[in-house]
Amino acid sequence: MMLRGEKITKRFGGLVAVSRLDFEIREGEVFGLIGPNGSGKTTLFNVISGLYKPEEGTLLFRGKRIEGRKPYEVSKMGIGRTFQIVKPLLNMTVLENIAIGALYGREGVRDMASALKKSEEILYFTGLEKRKDVLAENLRLADRKRLEIARALATRPEILLLDEVFAGLNEAEIDEAIRLVKGIQQNYGTTLFIIEHVLKAIMKTCGRAMVIHFGEKIAEGTPEEVTQNPVVIEAYLGNAPGI
Amino acid sequence: MTQPSQTEQKNRTYFYLAAGVVVLLSLFPLLSPAPYFLSMLYMVFLYVVLAESWNIIGGFTGYLSFGHVAFFGLGAYTTAFLMNKLALSPVATILSSIPGGLVAASVALVIGYPCLRLRGPYFAVVTMCFAFVVHMVVQNIDLFGGVEGLWLAAMQKPIHVIRAIFYELMLTLMILVILFVRWMEGSKLGKGLITIREDEEVAQTLGIHTPRVKILAFVLSAFFPGVAGGLHAYYLTYISPENVFDVMVSILIVLMTLFGGGGSWLGALIGAVSLSLVNEFLTTFVGAEIARIIYGMLFIVVIIFMPNGIMEFFRRRRRDRLAAGEGSEP
Repeated sequence: MMLRGEKITKRFGGLVAVSRLDFEIREGEVFGLIGPNGSGKTTLFNVISGLYKPEEGTLLFRGKRIEGRKPYEVSKMGIGRTFQIVKPLLNMTVLENIAIGALYGREGVRDMASALKKSEEILYFTGLEKRKDVLAENLRLADRKRLEIARALATRPEILLLDEVFAGLNEAEIDEAIRLVKGIQQNYGTTLFIIEHVLKAIMKTCGRAMVIHFGEKIAEGTPEEVTQNPVVIEAYLGNAPGI
Repeated sequence: MTQPSQTEQKNRTYFYLAAGVVVLLSLFPLLSPAPYFLSMLYMVFLYVVLAESWNIIGGFTGYLSFGHVAFFGLGAYTTAFLMNKLALSPVATILSSIPGGLVAASVALVIGYPCLRLRGPYFAVVTMCFAFVVHMVVQNIDLFGGVEGLWLAAMQKPIHVIRAIFYELMLTLMILVILFVRWMEGSKLGKGLITIREDEEVAQTLGIHTPRVKILAFVLSAFFPGVAGGLHAYYLTYISPENVFDVMVSILIVLMTLFGGGGSWLGALIGAVSLSLVNEFLTTFVGAEIARIIYGMLFIVVIIFMPNGIMEFFRRRRRDRLAAGEGSEP
């Protein structure tokens, strides 16, 4: 078992963002997390990556409890993440951005020169080699999303949390991104936990998925199963008798 | 293939240029210039030391400390106190400024822990208050001479010799600080600090132990001003809370670093040298009142047209020119 959550609860004042959530992610799989806007998906990612501390529940990463640990500890242990609203280090070049991950991540190195060297390979893997020396602030969205993935990959995570890396991309870019995500699993053997709205991406990448609504799990199974589940359809489209 | 050797050659040229400037500066007292010029350059060196030190926490990490004069003052008082109590020989001056740095660094370690949890304006305000508190405390301790301050035994040497000695000492300290910050700029620590400045949340998720590196930066940025304060106490031979805890110094070193460009050793150097010289010349030749006005206007112009400092402005222009050049060539 790579990552297991037991009865995870995160509240903000009176609002319960994540409610008694149980989930399991197996080593090497691509696991999808689906849910309408505001259903608590990103909150769950923030809990796992250590930005939020859950009020209740336990999180086990390879059998070790990690709930409430600091983000830099979690990252060092081997949990990487990307941000839904991309956060490139704007005043650094693409290669430098990636190198920061290599410098401080799980397999951190001692100096920038070797970090840069280690980053070259990821640069090619993510298809950013032509943008290598461009300042991150000059990248278009699709490349910023790639950079977000590249930088997280450079920390050498065992599990990577991808937060809506397909959102805002056009059809062609989505296809490229799907290839990239599949490539991560094949090349690096990284386990993936993916938040996604683009159904095509979920169908093509995920082996299993769970759906949450108002912070609670309402369905789990293969992508086909969950997307045809009447409870899920109701959560997305509202109560519509006759469908 | 010629590209790397070209940059290598360029770097070598810069190195010789810098070494030449350093040698010329260190030989300058041999020309027996008027003591005024020595003390003027001494003040420039002092401001470079302070600005470069502030650069570590303010420029690299983006935590704008507005209380850095406190570390300078603590260093000055530590040295003055030690020299008076232990009746150290003048030769021991250099060594006795090091405890000044250590005291400043220790205080930074203690207050850094709570302060560095605050961000943005809160950190700026709390560090400024910290400087006021230190000022008040020192002022009210009789052991430190209270409002009247402390006198130090002056060196029994002609004025131009004394000026030359302190000139060389401050020059040495300045070179050490510049070399340190220059090294830091390319180091793992420096990169981590810049990542924190850019986005602290990202820094954490990339595995940077932010509380630890921030405190390290803060302690380092307090150490050098402490040493400089120790030297300065002996240079002045008289220190009082008013002159070593002057809030204007805190503000000036922030402005100098940001003016030149925070986060780079060259930026802080350019900012400190240009602004302290401009200030000096304007005050001497034009008059203090008009100097302030011109000084202020200079700032406004730089902030409007070069918000990231002079260095970044030219660096970007060069990058743009290079990018345009690459585009036009086949």
